[in-house]
Amino acid sequence: MLTAEQNAELTRVGPGTPMGELLRRYWYPVAFTRQLDQFPVRRVRLLGEDWALYRTSDGGYGVVEEHCPHRRASLAYGVVEADGIRCGYHGWLFGRDGTCLDQPAEMDKTSFKDRVRARAGRAEELGGMVWVYVGPEPAPLPPRYDVYVMDGVRDFGHALLPCNWLQIMENAVDPHHVEWLHGRYFEFLGNRLGFEAPKSFQRRHIKVAFDEFEHGIIKRRLLEGHTEADDDWAIGHPLVFPYCMRVGGAGIDQMQIRVPVDDTTTWFVLYTVHAPEGARFEPQEAIPDYELPWRDEQGNHIVDYVEGQDIMAWVTQGPITDRTVEHLGKSDVGIAMLRKQFKQQLAAVAAGRDPIAVVRDPAANQRIDLPCEKNKFGAGADFALQWMNLGFTRYSPQLKDLLRLHTDAAEARAAAVGADV
Amino acid sequence: MSDVPAALPAGPSWFAGDAERHLLDAPKHCPHCGGRLAGHAGLVVEYWVADDRVFYCWCQACDWTGTVIQVERHVGHEAAG
Repeated sequence: MLTAEQNAELTRVGPGTPMGELLRRYWYPVAFTRQLDQFPVRRVRLLGEDWALYRTSDGGYGVVEEHCPHRRASLAYGVVEADGIRCGYHGWLFGRDGTCLDQPAEMDKTSFKDRVRARAGRAEELGGMVWVYVGPEPAPLPPRYDVYVMDGVRDFGHALLPCNWLQIMENAVDPHHVEWLHGRYFEFLGNRLGFEAPKSFQRRHIKVAFDEFEHGIIKRRLLEGHTEADDDWAIGHPLVFPYCMRVGGAGIDQMQIRVPVDDTTTWFVLYTVHAPEGARFEPQEAIPDYELPWRDEQGNHIVDYVEGQDIMAWVTQGPITDRTVEHLGKSDVGIAMLRKQFKQQLAAVAAGRDPIAVVRDPAANQRIDLPCEKNKFGAGADFALQWMNLGFTRYSPQLKDLLRLHTDAAEARAAAVGADV
Repeated sequence: MSDVPAALPAGPSWFAGDAERHLLDAPKHCPHCGGRLAGHAGLVVEYWVADDRVFYCWCQACDWTGTVIQVERHVGHEAAG
């Protein structure tokens, strides 16, 4: 349980708030590269502020505050030029650093444009998404976590959710929910609706553990029938501070991204790479991105797939979870640890230090490998098929190709074993 | 409302409606350095283990993290199973 003031401190992300200042120390994906390829400028919202994101003809990216400093029209309806973006209203041109380069209706010799500047952030492409940084300089590097740079077949599912990002992050340090939300509840639905829920999600948790590390918190679970040598305990998987969770298994690697759009909106992206051992794949010409349906026509949550169940649990807590009336148990100690980690990093920023998971060393940023189970829930290769058929991938336009990728890879592995024998 | 912790109701009656009262008997100072835990200076998160109320504490002043358990009765070993 928290006080109302503590809850506000941990959940308010706008400019000038303590959490807003902390979160502005990180890069965020705000669009798919595909979207800027199709049209070179779009409005994006991040941490309670609106921005115009654009791609110039040389392939570079820029991001400026949405409203033109001149008369406040939206630069998201601007003209993208080689050196910046020009307001569609009166033609003022702003460079990537926000410098005003042109005011066509003003006198040639005026110094007016030298005294006007648009707030600008930084924008870069990484792994099929466009990332922005809107915090203080010097900017850190966009972190090249393994999933973003590894080879494989990419697949992006996403949804814009009407709730605060923190309640989604608290789910990332809540191992027990799998056994119930994706186990018992899934089985209940399957029995009522006539499908078979995945058994591997139903295993009972014997114990859970949490370890802080330089990129967040590693979560471990010991499941019934398993030993501490099994991947779920020996390796685990991490919450990646402050807005991601690395997960995977059976040749699927995923970063669950939860971008804080504003206090009560989160962009949920399932950045997924399929690279099962033994698979053969060609470079992708285009990465499919698709929106996850999570409410039906009656407004009820769609809960017959894994992520739909998660979304139900996150959204039904309300726009911002009221933590003044919660009742935590010992199974929730990961949540207490996460709140502490946020408090520690709030203090670090207030003291002028970098918080954790801010990357500045290019040598260390070639590829940041994160710990993550391979044999998830002890389900072996079946985990991949269960995860795709009963998870968000069922909505993917390339579902059939992905299923074939995994079954072909399994056959190739089996053939290789046979050849060895 | 009384701010005396001893006035807290016991047992099942102390949930949501008594949330504010719960905050009254949360630790207010760090067991390690005595620094303030209340307000924005630290963090106290309460959770329950059976009958025990456990306060997970972090002190911003000395970075101490630990739990404080409010004790009604000391129980020694219990027979397994």
